[in-house]
Amino acid sequence: MTQNGGAPKDTQVGLTLNGRELKVEKDRLLIDVAEEVGIFVPRFCYHPGMKSVAVCRMCLVKVEGSPKLLPACATPVTDGMVVDTVDETAVDAQRGMLEFLLINHPLDCPICDRAGECPLQDQTYAHGPGSTRYVEPKRTYEKALEISELVVLDRERCVLCWRCVRFADEIAGDRFIQLVDRGPGTQILTFSDEPFDSYFSGNTIQICPVGALTSKPYRFVSRPWDLQTAPSVCTYCSVGCPLTNESRDEKIVRCQALPNENVNDFWLCDKGRYGYHHVESAERLGSPLVRSGKEFEPASWGAAVDKIVSAIKDKRRIGVIAGGHLTTEDAYAIGKLAKKVLETKDVDSRIQDAGAPYERALALGGIAGSTATLNDVEGAPEILWVGPDPKETLPVLYLRLRKAVNDGGARLTVVSPRATSLDVIAAKVVRCEAGGEGRALREIDDLGDDAVVCWGQSSPGRDETDAFDAAVAASQASGGKLLVCVPHAGSQGMLDMGVHPGLDAGYVEVAEPGRDTRAILEAAAAGELDALFLFGADPIADFPDAGLARRALEKGIFTVAVELFPTQSAMRADVVLPSAAYAEREGTFTNLERRVQKLERLVAPPGTAQEPWKTCAAIAGALGDAWGWARCDDVWDDIRRNVPTHKDLDLALLTQEAPAHAPFYESAFGDVQTHTMDPPALTVAGPGGQYPKGYRSGAPFQTGQNWPLSWELRAFEAKQRPGVIPHPNGSANGHGAAPAGAPDAPDAAPRAAEGGDDFVLLSGRLIYDEGSMVSRSKALGNIASGGYAELNPGDAADLEVSAGDRVVLRGAGAEVTLPVRIGDIAKGAVYVPYDQRDVKANTLMSGVDSRVGVAKA
Amino acid sequence: MSPVSGRPRGEVRIVTRRMREYPEDSWTLSRALDDGGYEASRKVVTQMTADDTIELVKSSGLRGRGGAGFPTGMKWSFVPKDVFPKYVVINHDEGEPGTFKDRELAELDPHALIEGITIACWANQANKAFIYCRGEFALGSRRMDRAIREAYEKGFLGDGIYGSKFDLDIILHRGAGAYICGEESALLDSLEGFRGQPRLRPPYPAVKGLYAQPTVVNNTETLMALPAIIDKGADWYRKWGTEKSPGTKVFSVSGHVKEPGNYEAPLAMPLSEVLELAGGMRDGSEFKAVIPGGASAPLLTDLSVPMDFESLKDAGTMLGSGAIVFMDQTTCMVRNALVTTEFFEHESCGKCTPCREGTWWGVKVLERIEHGEGRPEDMDLLLDICDGIDGRAFCPLGDAASWALRSNVKLFRDEFEAHVSEGRCIFDGEHKQLVGARARGDEMEGGS
Ligand SMILES: Cc1cc2nc3c(=O)[nH]c(=O)nc-3n(C[C@H](O)[C@H](O)[C@H](O)COP(=O)(O)O)c2cc1C
Ligand code: SF4
Ligand code: SF4
Ligand code: SF4
Ligand code: FES
Repeated sequence: MTQNGGAPKDTQVGLTLNGRELKVEKDRLLIDVAEEVGIFVPRFCYHPGMKSVAVCRMCLVKVEGSPKLLPACATPVTDGMVVDTVDETAVDAQRGMLEFLLINHPLDCPICDRAGECPLQDQTYAHGPGSTRYVEPKRTYEKALEISELVVLDRERCVLCWRCVRFADEIAGDRFIQLVDRGPGTQILTFSDEPFDSYFSGNTIQICPVGALTSKPYRFVSRPWDLQTAPSVCTYCSVGCPLTNESRDEKIVRCQALPNENVNDFWLCDKGRYGYHHVESAERLGSPLVRSGKEFEPASWGAAVDKIVSAIKDKRRIGVIAGGHLTTEDAYAIGKLAKKVLETKDVDSRIQDAGAPYERALALGGIAGSTATLNDVEGAPEILWVGPDPKETLPVLYLRLRKAVNDGGARLTVVSPRATSLDVIAAKVVRCEAGGEGRALREIDDLGDDAVVCWGQSSPGRDETDAFDAAVAASQASGGKLLVCVPHAGSQGMLDMGVHPGLDAGYVEVAEPGRDTRAILEAAAAGELDALFLFGADPIADFPDAGLARRALEKGIFTVAVELFPTQSAMRADVVLPSAAYAEREGTFTNLERRVQKLERLVAPPGTAQEPWKTCAAIAGALGDAWGWARCDDVWDDIRRNVPTHKDLDLALLTQEAPAHAPFYESAFGDVQTHTMDPPALTVAGPGGQYPKGYRSGAPFQTGQNWPLSWELRAFEAKQRPGVIPHPNGSANGHGAAPAGAPDAPDAAPRAAEGGDDFVLLSGRLIYDEGSMVSRSKALGNIASGGYAELNPGDAADLEVSAGDRVVLRGAGAEVTLPVRIGDIAKGAVYVPYDQRDVKANTLMSGVDSRVGVAKA
Repeated sequence: MSPVSGRPRGEVRIVTRRMREYPEDSWTLSRALDDGGYEASRKVVTQMTADDTIELVKSSGLRGRGGAGFPTGMKWSFVPKDVFPKYVVINHDEGEPGTFKDRELAELDPHALIEGITIACWANQANKAFIYCRGEFALGSRRMDRAIREAYEKGFLGDGIYGSKFDLDIILHRGAGAYICGEESALLDSLEGFRGQPRLRPPYPAVKGLYAQPTVVNNTETLMALPAIIDKGADWYRKWGTEKSPGTKVFSVSGHVKEPGNYEAPLAMPLSEVLELAGGMRDGSEFKAVIPGGASAPLLTDLSVPMDFESLKDAGTMLGSGAIVFMDQTTCMVRNALVTTEFFEHESCGKCTPCREGTWWGVKVLERIEHGEGRPEDMDLLLDICDGIDGRAFCPLGDAASWALRSNVKLFRDEFEAHVSEGRCIFDGEHKQLVGARARGDEMEGGS
């Protein structure tokens, strides 16, 4: 009970565990230490990503000197400790606990999704009694409650481990799911009439140790042993969460987080988890299309490529725009095609974030991107956030920021013209004017040392260079690091591979930069281009000036679109080439901390859709430049030869060999079974390897075979595949553009808005929107919130509107009527979500820093 | 011989002195002041250091009266000196079945409680105290509320009490009716507005308690013993009881006795003498068994056991809250086990598996036996269920449920077996109604 004041700073302790002498870091939990040496203590409530609560009492072990058995999940190791996890009393307690958990369990395994990968089932099957001593009626509840669009709850199956509740409270910070009542009547529920509307709800399903929480889209869809599994990386935002896709009969049916403590801990956001449905959308393009008059006609790849070649031969006024969801290999191929073959510098990948000045970060160490890793963020004493609301745009980064503050004690400062989800955990919130982020940052005088400054483009269509420079300066002044939050899963790879008008691959600055996205579209609209290439890019939907994009694409310039879907922009092209989706291909994504992680192919692409790098190589070949790439690895070898930053980046670092023998654990039930896997199974890998049918995602265990939670992707296994962050090579080249000390403040002479009062238009994506992939994911299709206009209370009063009233917004010749929300937003600004069904904010934008008229409807 | 009028032989009144001497107005401020009230608290605040106060309480050997019997002075010495704010929380939840001493103490002498709180706050340098009052205590909470207001008016509470620089506020909080909220860490969660469930320890409340600040949790009776100890000294207090269990204890005596009520007696008084304090068994009643320390305590059939912490522990049971329930020959022990286990099932917070599921299962089996559907293997099953809970639950509530149940089965196994073999409750008949109703608490046994 006394406080441990001046104990010597010895970080190692010695203990005896089941007769083995161990030396380990002190304060670690017994349950983790045991697991690392192959002694698995059974558990239900313990989860390595959350604080211990010790409620299930399954992990009781014998510790010498303690009169009672102790829960291994809540007992830190101490020096001289003597522990026996297979002591008779411990085993008896564990068996007893299992029996207690089963008395009220419905045992409806035949209709339970968890069957086959259920710890309760596995443990009972392996070690439990064959029959029950409980003869009375069981506790019953109404079964299969739909507690949200995605989650179904069966309280009879619940073992009350609190994992879901703790996740919602501790990790996500939204207490939608709670414990209700007490004693044997204790149950998990949402608040009456309030659904489990968390952006992170799917995690609770993954960590639920029984079939109490199940996924609506996956209910009754498959048995785990019928699933094929491949590790991949989320294709949405730039956090780059590792995940596994799982398919049955060539159709993806489930997606689960692959734990990587460097990146996503154990989590995914629901967009990442349920957003895979776009892959199987009926709208997917499966064949090249060639325009003939107003219509498209399917064509062979040969014919389509011929058409392109004949159209652009000898033409040198070509623009190339790439989107943010392509792999690093695609990016390299696009850059190579544009710059080497098409010989154009008019190449850019910044669409929604048009004009974002990433290249100005070069001054910080030769990197057009982050110098900070996500781990740096988590370990930082101070964090300064200036950017979009991360809960909407970079959801799992939001979780790690919460962890940095709540567990790591980081002091968080948020600078934003509008309330963000971070405000409630921030030590300081600076509510600046719209566009005033830079000045607000320069006025911050209490930023301590070693701060990690996080910057992201807050609002599409605004020139945020000043804020960026101020963020770079702040990070330099504090001696800390910079996290540059590029928007999408593939955005950083594009920058790294030189799909940028001012940078070649490896951050080599171009003497005379080419046109950026806006300039390319302006040139196209002015008829100053001969051809336009769109790689996974839909400027009409994404570029913050829909009118300009439309004019550019309707000018009649020969346009090639490489796409998954018939997007608005693709439908205005001359040749449309189908692309393989993330689950249909190999490759790598580079996330916002520049970590390169590998994707593996799980299902086949529709028709003849193929990876964009193949398409680039085919076009280059037809133009007389054969690259000789047959496989994805060939592209990577080319990258290593030609991109200095990546020359040491061996793909083998991303895919580790499986342990020759799957580790076997000493069962706590004493009857240790030593399985040896059959020789062919030895190729079974941890994450990153191949999974023969019947093996679970990421875990080299067969169901029922052993104690480890066969469905639960273990953290230490995921560590085998942490991805690699390349070192900047030749970073001391010194020609990074120095951030302007005193910025020549963009001359913000406001242009008169059309009608009504004149407001700065702020925008930004919400997690669920009309993005081409999310909107085609059936599980998520109906969740998007819809559009609204958020106003400062003062402005609303001036306009004589209150929440729920409607206002008309006029800008760029467009007009839209939206419901009003009153929010914590700078005066003189109106926020409209970027891409919702009933409003495309980019149709209200024209030029940089658009303003709109707002009037009562 | 009523507890109010006469003084039964053997009773020693320290915490109950004022209320027994002045039953007509013991709870009023004027009576308290006339009776030397608030002198001890004034003395510590104006004349003693906090450390000296702790030392004095340590040397008195006072042990907690809430159930666990932890030495009070020692508990206080665990509180870090340099962390502020600190809190003192008064456990006035009194949920242990059979216990009704804190209720009477606070109803009849709230000023002595405030005085005790002041002493504890001074010793721990806490400027805020919270009384967690059991929700059902309507009269007591009114009286405490009034007493607190009077103390503020007198300058015994508030800023700079007794003219010193020490500020003290007392906040009275009424619980919402859960036994588990008497467990100190669940109490703190409940006080903070969360579900009342015990917390994982460490950290202990003394280090991180209410709102994660150092917190002392003490029982009402514990604190009410303080004024006399400050006044008369540690040696005086040690005149009663034993070396390890010094002083007096208020016993709540109920069951089939002539004069149920609260009796203050020296610790280590044999059970038989405590029974005498309550006038002995009722006419026609024959002693069968006794719960010596609240429903959590295993039964005894031996009346010679001295009522102190060590002797009861040696006898396989515990002093607990000092609630003594004497049972006579009409008591069906299956029914006793059933209502007790039902109580724990109902009050289980549901946090941990063994308590939540074990009490549920126990009740189911006991119901069957009581209703004539028992099976020969049920007695061993009940003992197995007890083993499955005991020592494995998250907090002592679960353990206690198993102790109570196990002692019933072990001591009265023949009665259980008779229920099974006869296929009915062997106490069916006239007495059963009475026993059942009383044990269920349908008929409240009041204190005064
Ligand atoms: C289930 C349970 C219920 C309890 N109920 C009470 C109670 O009603 N009143 C009380 O003073 N202590 C109760 N306690 C004991 C407290 O946890 C704590 O030990 C006590 O309040 C400390 O005060 P003391 O040291 O002055 O006795 C209970 C303990 C448990 C485990
Ligand atoms: S629903 Fe699942 S995760 Fe939540 S408490 Fe029940 S068993 Fe645990
Ligand atoms: S946080 Fe980003 S990368 Fe992670 S799952 Fe969500 S969208 Fe995908
Ligand atoms: S033993 Fe467990 S379930 Fe019972 S009250 Fe304590 S914590 Fe709650
Ligand atoms: S009590 Fe340790 S895992 Fe649940």
